[in-house]
Amino acid sequence: METRDAPVSETYELRVQGHLDDCWSDWLGGLSVRRQEDGTTVLAGPLVDQAGLHGVITRIRDLGLPLLSVQRVGPHSEHR
Amino acid sequence: MVARPGLIQRLDRGAEGKLTLVAAPAGFGKTTLLAEWVEGAAAGERPAAWLSLDRGDNNLEVFWTYVVTALRAVHSEVGESALASLRASQTPPIEWLVTALINEIAAIGDARSAGSGPGLTLVLDDYHVIETEPVHSSLGFLVDHLPPQMHVVVATRSDPPLPLARLRGRGELSELRATDLRFTADEVAAFLNEVMGLGLSAADVAALERRTEGWIAGLQLAGLSMQGRDDAPGFVQAFAGDDRYVVDYLVEEVLQRQPPHVRRFLLRTSILDRLCGPLCDAVTGRDDGNKLLEALERGNLFVVPLDDKRRWFRYHHLFADALRVHAAEELSDDMAVMHRRASEWCERNGQPSEAIHHALAAGDFGRAAGLVELAGRAMLTARQDETLLGWLQALPDEEVRTRPVLSVYSALAVVSVDPQAAEERLRDAERLLDATAPVDGPPDTAAVEPVVDDDAGLRSAPGMIAIVRAYGAGAAGDLPGVVDHARRAWELLPEDDHLWRGGAGGLLGLAYWTSGDLEAAYRAFSDAWASLRRTGDPIQQISGAFVLADIRTAQGRLREAARLCEQALQRAAGQGGPMPPPAAELYVGLSDLCYEHGDLDRAARYLQKSKELSEHGGISEHRHRWHVAMARIKQARGDLDGALDLLDEAQRLYVRSPAPDVRPVAAVRTRLLVRQGRLAEALAWVRERGVSVDDELSYLREFEHITLARVLIARSRRDQAAGREAMTLLDRLRTAAEEGARAGSLIEILTLQALAQAAQGDLPRALGPLERALTLAEPEGYLRVFVDEGPPMRTLLRHAAARGIASSYTQHLLAAFDGSAQPGSSAAQAAAGLAEPLTAREVEILRLVATGMRNQQIADHLFISLATVKRHLANTYRKLGVGHRTEAVARANEQHLL
Repeated sequence: METRDAPVSETYELRVQGHLDDCWSDWLGGLSVRRQEDGTTVLAGPLVDQAGLHGVITRIRDLGLPLLSVQRVGPHSEHR
Repeated sequence: MVARPGLIQRLDRGAEGKLTLVAAPAGFGKTTLLAEWVEGAAAGERPAAWLSLDRGDNNLEVFWTYVVTALRAVHSEVGESALASLRASQTPPIEWLVTALINEIAAIGDARSAGSGPGLTLVLDDYHVIETEPVHSSLGFLVDHLPPQMHVVVATRSDPPLPLARLRGRGELSELRATDLRFTADEVAAFLNEVMGLGLSAADVAALERRTEGWIAGLQLAGLSMQGRDDAPGFVQAFAGDDRYVVDYLVEEVLQRQPPHVRRFLLRTSILDRLCGPLCDAVTGRDDGNKLLEALERGNLFVVPLDDKRRWFRYHHLFADALRVHAAEELSDDMAVMHRRASEWCERNGQPSEAIHHALAAGDFGRAAGLVELAGRAMLTARQDETLLGWLQALPDEEVRTRPVLSVYSALAVVSVDPQAAEERLRDAERLLDATAPVDGPPDTAAVEPVVDDDAGLRSAPGMIAIVRAYGAGAAGDLPGVVDHARRAWELLPEDDHLWRGGAGGLLGLAYWTSGDLEAAYRAFSDAWASLRRTGDPIQQISGAFVLADIRTAQGRLREAARLCEQALQRAAGQGGPMPPPAAELYVGLSDLCYEHGDLDRAARYLQKSKELSEHGGISEHRHRWHVAMARIKQARGDLDGALDLLDEAQRLYVRSPAPDVRPVAAVRTRLLVRQGRLAEALAWVRERGVSVDDELSYLREFEHITLARVLIARSRRDQAAGREAMTLLDRLRTAAEEGARAGSLIEILTLQALAQAAQGDLPRALGPLERALTLAEPEGYLRVFVDEGPPMRTLLRHAAARGIASSYTQHLLAAFDGSAQPGSSAAQAAAGLAEPLTAREVEILRLVATGMRNQQIADHLFISLATVKRHLANTYRKLGVGHRTEAVARANEQHLL
């Protein structure tokens, strides 16, 4: 059940070059860290808005990680 | 270090342009390269001012204070006035400040050596942390107007929002980007084998180059990981075959190879943005901070010295980020302890912002709230309201609500956007203040225990509460409310609280002024500025004098108004340095006063001075006043069209300010229309503004109502009823002006009463008000208020003279009529046989066309818009029967019109 008042966050997937350790998750907006076989990492999860997204992108920039793609994959829904 | 002569040469060449952009992600050696370049260049004739930016510099005043300070470290003779005005409580427009700076830099370059290339380089490192638009645009302004002696270098991780395409197009921008900065194969080999002394094979070097793609930070980490390792090829193989993020892989390698005490030191001090020995000791609880920092620097373990004395360091950004992530994992709970220790050290060592940052990071909100409270006043004085608001928002509600001083600050921060929330905060503050006061009787058990750190703030709190309420009342348009609250604030504030007393006095003055109580306004403003002067602010005095002079003029005390302007100008001149831009306003004030005394030439000269001053910075709030003043002079010289153009321009330029708009430009324009006999258009204004003779009178609308009286008098020639309406309105206006002791308005109203009576043919009744006007006007030397009324006033004055009323003054006025220009048509035009003669304005513009000026230049020259120039030219072509400008000039020359 979704309530109207809850802030609607969107789920994003960001792909970066290289395998990132799990410990970066907190640093990167709490996104989950999924290492892919092709040597890239997908960071995925809900971000509250565009400002949140830009915050994560800035941190990726500051780590010198090549950013390969950014995708919005739809509204975030909580599964309990 | 690897020498990079190719890049150094490119920087040298780039320095001949305006801007060099070094844009690449973290770890590409931007800072190292620039530091090397600057060191080499400083030995020559190009010293560099270096500014490492951080997030706290996202504020216009802070940013420019640092820029000017950095420049002064290199050239002590620049930036003195800029720095002084940055310290003032009311900063002038930043363009003015930057212009002053540019002029000073241009001057040193001239004095030294002409034409020997750039004399001064400004390096802005880590510019990507700047996110504030005004900082970008002011830097853009500097780059646009950069003197040839100067060059700007911006090092950043993302392209800054500056007009790069334009600069690139003009060849004024040179760029070094990631592809230029990454190590080439040769540089990788030189670095690993010569600098690090690793003795790697060509194949291993190539493998490392591929793995890191020439990324310097990656290569440095790899080099460190391999130092002292027996099996370098094995390391290279493992590293090259791994997909992990280079930093993750290598930081772990580096950390694992450190002795335990170094490793612990690195992780614990990673929370610090800047490190020095004692601060590190405070955080680690040991005493080897200095020794370890030195060792880290010697071992090239990613510490960057921040000063020559090697006292302050920071970790290399990338390394710091990786360390913090590791620290968060390994230390978890201890992190709060480290932040708390850092906060305490920063507090003891006079770094309140850092102390607050660490207290918040430690989650120690009680401590953070106390620090914010103590820092609040200094932040407001430095106009860093946003930083203060950011801290308040980071604090949990209950921490703010138990502190009376913080409750007032947060009310102040939101009063303009959310008055209701502000009022709640103020009630909290009042409840808390009651609880701090010693009371007899049983203690109120329900009350929260108030928390106070800033005792001075507590003493000022009751007054500050009243000020916030005055702001709220002002936003709601409740003038009596503003007066009540501001007066209360003035009474409640401690004598030595100059900042807030200044604020209260200013609010009170504005409210009195708007409501028409001029004497009270004058006193309140004088008090306010006396307070603000004690905060040591030169600019305050000038804008203060301008307002005081305005009020004195409305009171009919012209000589005192002139003295106020002159004294303020003398004081400003006596301070040395360039005249601050508000002085431009004082010249407009003086011009107005000269005008009234009939000295049009001096009035025009003052306007010229004002214009020269204001070209150094847009004082947009008062630019319309300049145009209105110039329009009056044009009008007095018979150029009514030119005057109308200037008034149109003034309307376009008008910007709302907190000061009441007591002479709306649209009403000034309507008076001119009346004078031109364009009654239909004047009546359109009356309808549009909805001004009527039955309106309730107020000072704020006095000028409009006097304008209405003028429209009615003009109509009375055809419409008897209008004449009677005018007289009733003028009677009421006179009473109101008398009650408000506004002699300036009263003189004008009395002259209009005389003219209205004369228009009705009742000469004896006209002379009564005229005599009173003359008596009031003579000591202050009024002239134009009579002369501008034209022939009907001249006739009246002759009658007055015949009866010996104020005889010498009246003779003086009559003589002024003779010297006054009369708008008339040129005889030449009649001779040219034009069906419709050219107006004076059209002739003026055509003369400028004949000098070869383009339309835009003409517009700039005459202070009118391009569209207006085109309109005049179209009319001119039509009247002359020509198709374009050359033909028009030829035709006009033929007929001796120019």
